Amino acid sequence: MDDFAIVELYHRREQLAIAESDKKYGPLCRSIAQRLLGCREDAEECVNDTWYAAWDKMPPDRPQSLGAFLGRITRNLSISRWRRDHARKRYDGMELLLSELEDCVPAPGTVEEDLERQQLAGIVSAWLDGLEDQERRLFIRRYWYGDPVKELAAGRGEGANAIAQRLLRLRKGLRAFLESEGVSV
Amino acid sequence: MNSQNIFDGITDIRDDLVDGAKEARGKQKSQGGSRGRKRMLGAAVAAVLALAVFVGIFARPHSGLTAYAIAQAGYPKMAPYPSGLAQFNSKVHDAWWEDVKAQRRDLGDISSLESFFARSAQAFLTGTEGQNRVYSPVNVYMALAMLAQLTGGESREQILTLLGSGSMADLRQQASDVWNSNYRDDGALTSILAGSLWLDKDLKYNQGTMDILARDFYASSYRGNMGSEQFNKALQSWLNEQTGGLLKEQAGNIELDKETILALATTVYFKAKWHDEFSREKTLPGAFHTPSGDVDTDFMNQREDQPYYWGDRFAAVNQSFEGGGSMWFLLPDEGTTPEELLSDGEAMDFLFGSNRYQWENQKFIFVNKSIPKFDVSSQFDLGEGLQALGITDVFDPEVSDFTPVITDAEATVAVSQASHAARVVIDEEGCTAAAFTVMAAAGAVQPPDDEVDFILDRPFIFCITGIGGLPLFVGVVNYPAGA
Repeated sequence: MDDFAIVELYHRREQLAIAESDKKYGPLCRSIAQRLLGCREDAEECVNDTWYAAWDKMPPDRPQSLGAFLGRITRNLSISRWRRDHARKRYDGMELLLSELEDCVPAPGTVEEDLERQQLAGIVSAWLDGLEDQERRLFIRRYWYGDPVKELAAGRGEGANAIAQRLLRLRKGLRAFLESEGVSV
Repeated sequence: MNSQNIFDGITDIRDDLVDGAKEARGKQKSQGGSRGRKRMLGAAVAAVLALAVFVGIFARPHSGLTAYAIAQAGYPKMAPYPSGLAQFNSKVHDAWWEDVKAQRRDLGDISSLESFFARSAQAFLTGTEGQNRVYSPVNVYMALAMLAQLTGGESREQILTLLGSGSMADLRQQASDVWNSNYRDDGALTSILAGSLWLDKDLKYNQGTMDILARDFYASSYRGNMGSEQFNKALQSWLNEQTGGLLKEQAGNIELDKETILALATTVYFKAKWHDEFSREKTLPGAFHTPSGDVDTDFMNQREDQPYYWGDRFAAVNQSFEGGGSMWFLLPDEGTTPEELLSDGEAMDFLFGSNRYQWENQKFIFVNKSIPKFDVSSQFDLGEGLQALGITDVFDPEVSDFTPVITDAEATVAVSQASHAARVVIDEEGCTAAAFTVMAAAGAVQPPDDEVDFILDRPFIFCITGIGGLPLFVGVVNYPAGA
């Protein structure tokens, strides 16, 4: 079933929408949650919650890309779970990603602290637009889909060390870009 | 602004950017499918088990007939773990998931349990005189909980006090929750706490107690001719069956003489694959510095980016199992022995507290692990340790109270033997060369920031936490190949 038809099912309040979402995007959402949380049980709960959240959002939402829309919900649910439970549970994938993303955090005072989430997303998107295709995909695969460095290296026929270094450069590049885009000093 | 804000910002980047990367991702996945499947098949295996047996004696001779079940516990049936391509089959996955959810229990405040685990581990793991020692806190907890059900008066109160339970009803509920939250039998991970009660055929018993044992403790009860070869073989056979035959030698040592009227046996069997398998090609011989000199040992090697923990006198890492649970390795600092760590408040808090994951001294870095393959076991009597922990009445026939199970007013019963045996085996078997060639390449990641070596080449402590996070096994390894 194509995305348009699935979105229509949500708007008609037909429960088949959830089954079709799971069939088409279940593996993608499971992969994201599993990689962020590392725990299959918690990941599965996030994916189940993804369909309910999608049910609440559509209508009124009518996403252009259903995969990105659902994957985004899964990411949000995953970090919510991490925020709630990380004091007593270890979510290795999320811990590692957040640890790496520390490199992107601008120096204090260089960016408005209460930058709106959407505004920040716009700046990150603009920075990604300026990258070479390969670099852009590498960054998004690592930090949006949560693909492990080993897998990225295997897919490119490069050493994991080389990929890790490229990701480090990209993170530092994003930090510099954010600082240069700082709304206030 | 922090890394979570950056994460959120990345989450909301434009859809076309997300979709663009997804296409590249899909191509790689379709090319790499067969290799992924081999890696799943090549997962390493870890097998662990323990058994604990409590025996009570009635001081009068009896003989009897053959054994038979008087109450039988039923274990939940679980759908198979969706490994390999089956994880993308929603029916297979959903069936497994429903069964896993059905076993979940909220254990609530477990501070009293943690206290029991720490105190009992100190009591049973120290004084080993440089030998290996393995102890199963959860196993002994289940045995004591069952023993509380079988006793009354002060005998029961002493057990409730040690386990930190306010009442027998609370303990029954907690034991049932501990049993269920640790139960898994799905083909990928086996974690079963089993219990059984063995009665002399002439004993007048309370059927209601047997039914409670079956319902709340998942324990079966059998009655037979105590002291007969046939009944002893039945008990040994039960122990071997529940522990996968890995404690055959120790089970063979368990014999009940004809003066025994009641025996309580509990076991824990835990078998799981490592989440990140060790490559057999990277296993190398090396020297392990035992208390009596160096011995050649095979060391499994792995380089992973993972949390590294440390305390004033130890360093620690963990290795996760697929499907749940972890094995924790504590390496005492040079000049510190495992025994000294067992009386170190900080180390015990790390081992048995529930805040390991929020431990202050931890860092996410590359860890070069070198862990000896080991096969360690021990068998010892719990009696002295339990009495030191305040469980005294059940050992004294003058004051012990077994009225909830024995209706014979003339009977004087006391625990005469409390044997505990455990064995832990870890290795990296089940590998295929092709799969590990892939892993060997992947293991060459250089740290972007920092790295540390974690080499277990001298006596150390391990702890295996089960699905629910409770310590199934804790042990001291002085000789990786056994004593």
